[in-house]
Amino acid sequence: MASSRDSPSDRAATMYGELGNKLVQHAKRTQSLAHLPPYQTEIVRAVTREVRDLDRDVTRLLEPFEGAFNPSADPAIACALLVDHLCMRRNKRCLLAYHRVRTEKLEELCWTGVDILEQQQHMDGTQTALGPNGHSSLSPEEEEYFRQYGDLLAAYKGQWTDVDLTGTLEPPKDLFIDVRVLKDAGEIQTEYGVINLTKNSQLYVRQGDVERLIAQGFLERLT
Amino acid sequence: MSYYDIDSILTDSQKLPCTFELEVPGLGILEGNAGEDIKAGTRIDLPLWLGEMLSIGARLGTSRLVTLDMPDALSERVMNALKADPRTLDLRALAPHFYNLSERILELFEEEEMVDVLTDTFKKRAAEIADHAHNSRGAVGDGVDFLRGLDETERQLFRAAHDRAKEMRIWSGEARRK
Amino acid sequence: MQTYQTFLSHALQTNQRQYNAGLRLNWRLNCILFVMAFPLPRGVTASEIAFLAEMETVTVVPRQRLESLELLGGPVEPLAPPRRASLPLWLALLLKRQRRANIIPPPWLHPEPLSLILDVESQHQDYQNAFSPPPPLPGQPSVLDRDAIASAKPQYTPDGNRYYPAPPFLPHNTAQTTSSRDTPSLPFHWVEVGNLLLDSASDDLVDPDQIRRLLKDLREVRMSKMRSGVEVLDEAATGGGGVALTGVGSMELGEERGFITGVVDGLRRIGSSKEQARREQMAEQRAAGGYDATQDEEEDYMEF
Repeated sequence: MASSRDSPSDRAATMYGELGNKLVQHAKRTQSLAHLPPYQTEIVRAVTREVRDLDRDVTRLLEPFEGAFNPSADPAIACALLVDHLCMRRNKRCLLAYHRVRTEKLEELCWTGVDILEQQQHMDGTQTALGPNGHSSLSPEEEEYFRQYGDLLAAYKGQWTDVDLTGTLEPPKDLFIDVRVLKDAGEIQTEYGVINLTKNSQLYVRQGDVERLIAQGFLERLT
Repeated sequence: MSYYDIDSILTDSQKLPCTFELEVPGLGILEGNAGEDIKAGTRIDLPLWLGEMLSIGARLGTSRLVTLDMPDALSERVMNALKADPRTLDLRALAPHFYNLSERILELFEEEEMVDVLTDTFKKRAAEIADHAHNSRGAVGDGVDFLRGLDETERQLFRAAHDRAKEMRIWSGEARRK
Repeated sequence: MQTYQTFLSHALQTNQRQYNAGLRLNWRLNCILFVMAFPLPRGVTASEIAFLAEMETVTVVPRQRLESLELLGGPVEPLAPPRRASLPLWLALLLKRQRRANIIPPPWLHPEPLSLILDVESQHQDYQNAFSPPPPLPGQPSVLDRDAIASAKPQYTPDGNRYYPAPPFLPHNTAQTTSSRDTPSLPFHWVEVGNLLLDSASDDLVDPDQIRRLLKDLREVRMSKMRSGVEVLDEAATGGGGVALTGVGSMELGEERGFITGVVDGLRRIGSSKEQARREQMAEQRAAGGYDATQDEEEDYMEF
């Protein structure tokens, strides 16, 4: 498990835009992972600090001119201003891209039915979902985003009752399948009547009826 | 290549040599000397996102105050090596996003010969990638070195070919089992 | 039988409707709303291609009676043994697995025609870098009738609308009696139909082991042709160009789609500056040549 505490070198930049680059590299890694790695709060803060520093520099450079700056008269200052401006834009792009990749991942997790908020609670038992290092996997804004997105998705799904929008996208191979019951679950109502789910019994049932039960772990597919 | 595309952002962080034709006070941080000035005529390796816009934006009348040069990854030495045998070169060591970089550089410089060399390189290496992806013996021997030297674009090609071949094997295997 | 009849018909209707509706809704909604959010695998997967191929029509010899079923895709003809009937492949496989019917293999799925096709693929000089010719479309003359004129034969919907059917809605896998002068050819869904029939209906095939070997050899020859074709892909990358893949199979397309489109896109990007210069030059030539404005617009429209 990677520690989310940054080393000092993460916070000091020898060049503008370096920290932004680190964020984007984190984002690249996130794209290929199945889970969401911890939110890089420190780096995000450092990048925003850099943007503020650059803005202060611009103000300082323009101060003597009192609003009447002519780039052709002072090409060196114009160059410095341009560099500051480009760096700010670059940092903004890196920040936006990092956050976007993470929210895409959150949405993907939502669609596949993973409840990341519940997982975080189980990890440490506390209500505030703080990890063992005092940092969480999600920023507070991301937690809120996930919650609201989940509500949005649930409302959307609710409009179609006989189609499960978040169900499997695998085409059905067989109409009927053999399954074994893993847990006692009483009686289940299907279009054909009632199925009795007693542990260890084997059933030959319609795939469409029991897909959900297999996903929830009540049944095990045998074929 | 869109604003949010991660590969595009990482491509732009690759560096190329930039020459400052003027002295710029206080921009020493670009050289790693915070607080210092940049003397006229200094040549620094700057990332594409900075260098390109500087060369376009920093002007005195019509003359450019910052000029760009070809990055090492696309030097004549590299082009000659590619002309000889494109398959043995470690592109990733030259630049992780080699082809993306070349696309950006070709927007800035006119290099018709480079286009031809790179096109030929790409095709030959793609054929090699296809071979590796479909041989299920996996990456052994020379294969390992070649695959390690793939740039980002080629890696995605390899993954596409490899995953589909695997999926095909699974499908026909499963079909066979039933 | 009546119980099985209603059971089957009901099961099929709800399953088909549910899956089809769900699949189409899922994809359409995902595409419209969650293009970035839900990264589905690009292109069509192997099991999806097989699913679509199951819509092909095959000939069966039923062993039990079954009345006509009303399904979404249209009515299924009643089964009255020993009369042969045409059914969609998925239904034929279901009945075969339950031993209620036997499947008649299509004429191409047999050691002799497959060996012939394999010879053409590997030895024939005209097809060193191309696939063996596919079965002719309705109205298209076969390879042997080079002098015949092609005239596409349309079909008509019940409403009277004209359409030109394509696989899986062409009779390429039914057991029609073919005249001996027709050259055998691999239909679009040959991989899927071949594999599915080998698994579930091998006892209905002539020498299934030999067929399996021949199909494997065919796949290898054709795949290596597709891969070595990387050399000519820059034809596809230049504006207005393309590479012909006549005779390619559905599963083969699906398997190579990601790689080939990736190569074409890469070549396009490398050559984009050159392509840009070429177009500027053409535009200058056109302006200097003094064409009138409307012709210019048409040309621009065709150059995508």
